[in-house]
Amino acid sequence: MPAIIEPPPGPDEAQPPLWKRLGWFLGIALASTLATAVVAYALKALLV
Amino acid sequence: MDFDAILLARLQFAFTIAFHIIFPSFTIGLASFLAVLEGLWLGTRREVFRNLYLFWVKIFALSFGMGVVSGVVMSYELGTNWSEFSKMAAPVIGPLLAFEVLTAFFLEASFLGVMLFGWKKVGPKLHFTATVLVAIGTFISAFWILSANSWMQHPTGYEMLADGTLRATDWMAVIFSPTFPSRLAHMSLAAFLTTSLVVGAASAWQLLKDRTQPESRMALRMAVGMFAIVAPLQLVAGHYSGETVREHQPLKLAAIEAYWKTRADQPQSLVGIPDRDAAKTHYEIEIPGIGNLIQGVSKDTVLQGLDSFPREDWPVVGLVYWSFRIMVGLGLAMIALGAWGVWLIWRRRVDDAGGFLWATVAMGPTGFIAVIAGWIVAEVGRQPWTIYGVLRTADSVSPVGVGQISASLLAFMIIYAIVFSAGGLYILRLIARGPAPALAEPPPDGEGRAPGSPLAAAPAEPREV
Repeated sequence: MPAIIEPPPGPDEAQPPLWKRLGWFLGIALASTLATAVVAYALKALLV
Repeated sequence: MDFDAILLARLQFAFTIAFHIIFPSFTIGLASFLAVLEGLWLGTRREVFRNLYLFWVKIFALSFGMGVVSGVVMSYELGTNWSEFSKMAAPVIGPLLAFEVLTAFFLEASFLGVMLFGWKKVGPKLHFTATVLVAIGTFISAFWILSANSWMQHPTGYEMLADGTLRATDWMAVIFSPTFPSRLAHMSLAAFLTTSLVVGAASAWQLLKDRTQPESRMALRMAVGMFAIVAPLQLVAGHYSGETVREHQPLKLAAIEAYWKTRADQPQSLVGIPDRDAAKTHYEIEIPGIGNLIQGVSKDTVLQGLDSFPREDWPVVGLVYWSFRIMVGLGLAMIALGAWGVWLIWRRRVDDAGGFLWATVAMGPTGFIAVIAGWIVAEVGRQPWTIYGVLRTADSVSPVGVGQISASLLAFMIIYAIVFSAGGLYILRLIARGPAPALAEPPPDGEGRAPGSPLAAAPAEPREV
């Protein structure tokens, strides 16, 4: 079973280029923000 | 609105907030602990820090999730049960809570995703940045919530309009009301203490089973170091917070210390049974002549007693009095545990000291108990006001009946019992399992365990750390 929480890269593992890592950083952050916003608006819609 | 509905609404809020505060008081400290662990791993590349991080980040994620769920309930309660308070105070309190969501909650929620799912994708340094941002977010969250609550304890920088609603006239005075700095310091230190006691207890539990477990040996030392430093600091911060209470909420201080009479040279009550109706403390053990000294004022200074205030304004003295003593008593026990632990570390005997390890396990939940006791002092001590001196609790409730509040209270109790028992038990199971199985790297010798599975990198032999 794959780990849900991602472990750090191993010492011999090659790192992706910086632009790709920054892309993931912003992408995951935005996706997390969106997920939070969707839940918040869904809860609000249920109440109004 | 009759008394029973008010009492039920208060019970409901007390029930939900007592559940809620458990989680942020743990995650504030745990987020910083994770940032320290990851920083140490980045700096040293020692496996033990990585393994501890991977172990505690799971518990952090679960606690964070339960904290969010239990927190959302309270914001709805402000509308359902406390609509009169919301109507009157929303122009002042609303923006503070909105700032909390915008600046803290979204920061935490956004970068928690990177923390959990992005270590390989973003690389170690950006991942560390995300962990630090989440840790900062937890503090910003505490900042705004404490700011809102402190304003309710001692409102400043506002005016009342003709329709009875409040409006901020000076936002800086609203945000930085006089009791805020001391309460923020007191709560932040409480969060650090709570976390260090839990980490200490979890590590001690593992060491009782296996004294050589490297992650638990390291975590125990970090936890002991933390509460040995923070517990005495908390005593100072608590005293500072008490001084602001004396200055701005003398009635609360009178309830905390059971000062029934206004006088100079107050005695210090240690224990007793306060009797609000008789206005005296039964079976009291007190030390004469040191009450003023402990309050940081001269013997000749007159400290107001409960008799200076109308009886209908008195809070439930016994509850405030005993909650305060529980909080202080546990704080003193934490200081003693820290001193004991430091002495054992210095003598290089901490891993083998069974008595200390059992004591550390037993002290694990005391941070939560002290936090809840402290909040009872703060909130019950402010009664009968929701906004001190401005809006009474009886005038804050929604025009809803006993049946409605009873039904929602019952529903909360059932749902909380199921959801939080399940979550809490799962966290305890994770803690009982310990950090070693949290290793997630596949073994180099390819033993055939699935990559990323709980035992993927469990070593066959004890490791050097």
